[in-house]
Amino acid sequence: MLEIRNLHVTVEDREILKGIDLTIHPGETHAIMGPNGSGKSTLANVIAGREGYTVTEGEIRFDGKNLLDMDPETRACEGLFLAFQYPVEIPGVANLYFLKAAVNAIRKYRGEPPVDAMDFWDLVHERMELVKMDESMLKRSVNEGFSGGEKKRNEVFQMAVLQPRFAVLDETDSGLDIDALKVVADGVNALRSPERGFLVITHYQRLLDYIVPGQVHVLVNGKIARSGGKELALELEEQGYALYNEEPGRARRAAA
Amino acid sequence: MTAAAPLFSDPRRQRFTEFVANRREPDAIIRLRREAFDRFETLGWPTRQQEAWRLTDLSALQSITFQQPADALVDVETLPTLDGPTHRLVFVNGRFAPGLSRLPELPDGALITSLGQAVTTHPERIEPYLDRLPGLEQHPFAALNTAFWEDGAFVHLPRGTVIKEPVHLVFYAAGGDANVHPRLLLMLEDGAHATVVVEYRGQGRYLNAPLAELALGSGAALHYHQLQEESPQAFHLGAVQVRQGRDSEANLHLVSVGGQLARVDLAVLLDGEGTRCALNGLTLAREQQYGDYHVRVEHARPHGTSEQRFKSVLDGKARSVFDGMIHVRPGAQKTDARQTSRNLLLSKQAQAHSNPRLEILADDVKCGHGSSTGFLDPDAEFYLRARGIPATQARALLVHAFANDHLNQIRLTPLRERLARLLAARLALDLVEGESTP
Ligand SMILES: Nc1ncnc2c1ncn2[C@@H]1O[C@H](COP(=O)(O)OP(=O)(O)O)[C@@H](O)[C@H]1O
Ligand SMILES: [Mg+2]
Repeated sequence: MLEIRNLHVTVEDREILKGIDLTIHPGETHAIMGPNGSGKSTLANVIAGREGYTVTEGEIRFDGKNLLDMDPETRACEGLFLAFQYPVEIPGVANLYFLKAAVNAIRKYRGEPPVDAMDFWDLVHERMELVKMDESMLKRSVNEGFSGGEKKRNEVFQMAVLQPRFAVLDETDSGLDIDALKVVADGVNALRSPERGFLVITHYQRLLDYIVPGQVHVLVNGKIARSGGKELALELEEQGYALYNEEPGRARRAAA
Repeated sequence: MTAAAPLFSDPRRQRFTEFVANRREPDAIIRLRREAFDRFETLGWPTRQQEAWRLTDLSALQSITFQQPADALVDVETLPTLDGPTHRLVFVNGRFAPGLSRLPELPDGALITSLGQAVTTHPERIEPYLDRLPGLEQHPFAALNTAFWEDGAFVHLPRGTVIKEPVHLVFYAAGGDANVHPRLLLMLEDGAHATVVVEYRGQGRYLNAPLAELALGSGAALHYHQLQEESPQAFHLGAVQVRQGRDSEANLHLVSVGGQLARVDLAVLLDGEGTRCALNGLTLAREQQYGDYHVRVEHARPHGTSEQRFKSVLDGKARSVFDGMIHVRPGAQKTDARQTSRNLLLSKQAQAHSNPRLEILADDVKCGHGSSTGFLDPDAEFYLRARGIPATQARALLVHAFANDHLNQIRLTPLRERLARLLAARLALDLVEGESTP
């Protein structure tokens, strides 16, 4: 469902992604690991359509459609979701209102009428329990004053409500304790289905014990240096990214 | 007797002479008018060489010959209403319109009426208080208002009187280059409580130069709202003066959306211990609109608290000015005075000027000010869009969030809801029905 071919991306004239090839089929979960600064978030942002990134070569197709031609809202309406590494605080916009606006925007795009208030409320409550989120967070402004963990949980909550067909999770595990990490994993696993695809970006192997990927890719310096099965994550955990000429032992130290 | 003796041919003086000749008012009031007119002549028409008027360009106004207002008919539909029971006074071209007004019973001794009438029926309640508040002695338009006001509202609540229903004062100007000077004199004696909504509206071109005097006795509480929705061609040069007695509380909400040029000068004197004052101002301006608040909050006694929170949202080539002074007199220890000015620019040509000023003559005080001006946060916009919300709606939501914070301070529900609808309409934002706070 997601096909990335020979993707080259520059940021402020500096090449960050240097030819990425990646194909993810429905029902598959792929993980991308890599040291800081290797371009993981760049890839996630380019998929979501953030400004400031120039694609100089290559393409991204989503269900055969040219993703790079679409603006960010169209991508979301087509069923794409990005869980942000750094969720943005939006003072004055209540979480619940924001979610409803998003649900209705997506429904409108699909030619559906606005969501029924009761149905929406039921869905929100069910999903809130899934990510063990407190109801008070619905009334609060989007991410404002949330702790790091609450922000990440809110990303997974939004994903669970919007039910995208393809989700990119950018270091959703970073900064979480083990309980919060399990909640995030439960949220993702509850959505996993033969029709959905996931791209899970992480710095640590730990998350992949709970969200078990079909394939793991190692991104180093803007290129996929290696791909393999889930055991590759464990190998990285042991050896760090040293094999890839990058800051030896860093991954292990950070994970400790 | 003043140095700047007016020429006999000065049309404004001639207009004034004719105006006072036709007023049937106590001598004391006529004397006030004459003094005020002399003061205006001494001050002269403001120029941009004067610090207080440096950013206010009155040239468009000076090329127009304004007229004394005439009687006019107004379409009742265009007059704003507030849901629920109110004490309502309507003024058209500065003149009381009893047919459009509605004044329910009042507690003993309370008076809500036309100032023009009260001057003759209750001179003892007016003469000692009219034009007595300090702070705007240098303001030429305040002087002109005192010289030329035809009518306005008089609100007087004796000691301990609490009025639940809002006092709704509607000032409508009917264009025709009229120069109107509506007046409000409000006196809350010790422990009195009132909620007041002042609305300025109109059609066509005119100059509205209102003056409101708000005097609060000890322990009095006032919720005052002023909504300036003048016509797009109108000029609004208003002034508000407040004096607060001990332990009194004043909450002022000013919203400015209309007019081609709108300026309000606001002077608050915290003249008793333990007074609290909150000033909230919001300007929405677009195209060539100019919106200006000049604020002076003066702490004269210890333990006073004041907070000024001013915001503007500017599109097109609109400009806003916020000039805010906190003055703390030597004796006013334990003052807590804050001021923020935040401006949101929706276009590259829009401009916001913030000029915070502090004069602190006491040593044991907490004073703070902050100002910020910026564009919409692109990260926030992207975040909303990444969830499927179209760009225009995302931007409107963010603007709404910025401004709504002001509206949420308003406790008077029907007004808050009307303003929320006004804001949404300005932003072409579809509020999801049933969702109170977007
Ligand atoms: N918006 C941006 N502006 C400038 N540099 C950026 C931007 N985004 C990413 N970069 C640079 O691109 C490189 C890769 O960053 P990123 O994709 O965030 O890496 P990762 O997510 O793997 O840690 C880094 O050197 C970073 O400084
Ligand atoms: Mg990153």
